[in-house]
Amino acid sequence: MPGAAGLITVMHANPPLSPDVLEQAAEWLVLLNASTVSDEDRQACERWRGEHPDHALAWARAQRLMGKLESLPPRLAMPALNRPRSTGRRSATMKLTGVLALLPASWLGWRLADNKGWMADHHTGTGEQSSLQLADGSIIKLNTATSIDLRFDAVQRTVVLRHGEILIQTAKDTASARRPFVVRTNEGLVEALGTRFSVRQREGQTDVAVYEHAVRVEPRRAPISAYLMLESGQSASFTARRAGTAANVAAGSDSWTHGMLMADRMRLSDFTSEIQRYRGGLVRCDPAVADVRISGTFPLRDTDLALNMLANTYPIAVRKRLSGYWVTLEPS
Amino acid sequence: MPDQASPLNVETLYCDHHSWLLGWLRHRLGNPFDAADLAHDTFARILAGRRVEDIKEPRAYLTTVARGILINWYERKALERAYLEALALLPEPEAPSPEHRQMVLETLHQIDAMLDTLPARVRRAFLMSQIEGLRYEDIAARLGCSLISVKRYMKQAFLQCLALLD
Repeated sequence: MPGAAGLITVMHANPPLSPDVLEQAAEWLVLLNASTVSDEDRQACERWRGEHPDHALAWARAQRLMGKLESLPPRLAMPALNRPRSTGRRSATMKLTGVLALLPASWLGWRLADNKGWMADHHTGTGEQSSLQLADGSIIKLNTATSIDLRFDAVQRTVVLRHGEILIQTAKDTASARRPFVVRTNEGLVEALGTRFSVRQREGQTDVAVYEHAVRVEPRRAPISAYLMLESGQSASFTARRAGTAANVAAGSDSWTHGMLMADRMRLSDFTSEIQRYRGGLVRCDPAVADVRISGTFPLRDTDLALNMLANTYPIAVRKRLSGYWVTLEPS
Repeated sequence: MPDQASPLNVETLYCDHHSWLLGWLRHRLGNPFDAADLAHDTFARILAGRRVEDIKEPRAYLTTVARGILINWYERKALERAYLEALALLPEPEAPSPEHRQMVLETLHQIDAMLDTLPARVRRAFLMSQIEGLRYEDIAARLGCSLISVKRYMKQAFLQCLALLD
């Protein structure tokens, strides 16, 4: 019937195009976006567009894409689109949609997959610690008041650190394609290069300490040239814009993984804020004793005991009010 | 009296679990307005989806759907935040007009969604080329890879965009 093909084309506002045609269009885009494009290239592309109505349609789509990209002001688009994120997020969402389509037959399977943790949330409350082994054999220890999300899929091993502090012992990736192991914080990325390291999310700042091998620190708003390599025994703090400088890891900084706080000539005010992390309620220290230096090993799982140990060794009194909710360290 | 044997439908799912889901979302978002929006989106997705009567554990099912929606929402917020920060840093004469700002944000959401499943390296190469206007040779130097790889990344990204553009 004459005209039938034309009618169908009109009815499909967004006609499905074959993957082959889209691939050819993508190849033309790569060619024409190069810094040097010859007249022959342009003419060849024009010929291709004329060869088949689908080619012309694919090219129209390509032009719409280029129009959108060109409409974006670079100085606004780059920070927004290049922000750190979980690269497999949407694939995770797509997976989710796929799984939903298969319900209920695979419901059990889905929940098992969830427990294995490609999209699971893990939390510890104040004073709690926990440890988990990931599907790839890596181990994550969560310190007090910590929450993380895991994004593990075919292309990535990402831990999103939302609050608190974690220590990671990575395992060699057994997947055929080597997936980078990355910790994401508010300030940027820490990429593990086969290693044991800890990451702590603070207010507007991330602390990293490396105990084995190395990591690369990638602040999310800093240029690639500003990325920082940290070797074993080094630590650094970084903000979204600056990677900071590498310093030596303080002795005992991973002692929390054994449930202990190791203090070596630590200022009492710093000790107070450390204890505060593991204890509900408020812990503060009188300015008169803030600079007193203390040393020792204190249990984190029993902060009352830790405070008593302190009072037994140093000229410091522990004043508790509101049934221990409000603690003040004062001169005794 | 409730009939235990009656199959679940969207209405009973909604009546029995909506306020619970709202609480679950509010706990994560810390804000009742966004929680209400996302609870709505969750039920909308379920309605658009499939046979509710087959759901065995409604709350586990609801949180599974809601979690996907939550992740999308966080990522949208992250994009908007990054955009607003960049906007705040821009000198006055360079800042787009308010209407233009909204258009830019919408386009950013579209492009962001299209690039989302790409590996970070591919996305970075693509943005360097298409947003920063760098030459393939410069991108190769910055990423420390070959020119061939850059072209392969570009093709992968273009193909993905073309396939997802509606």
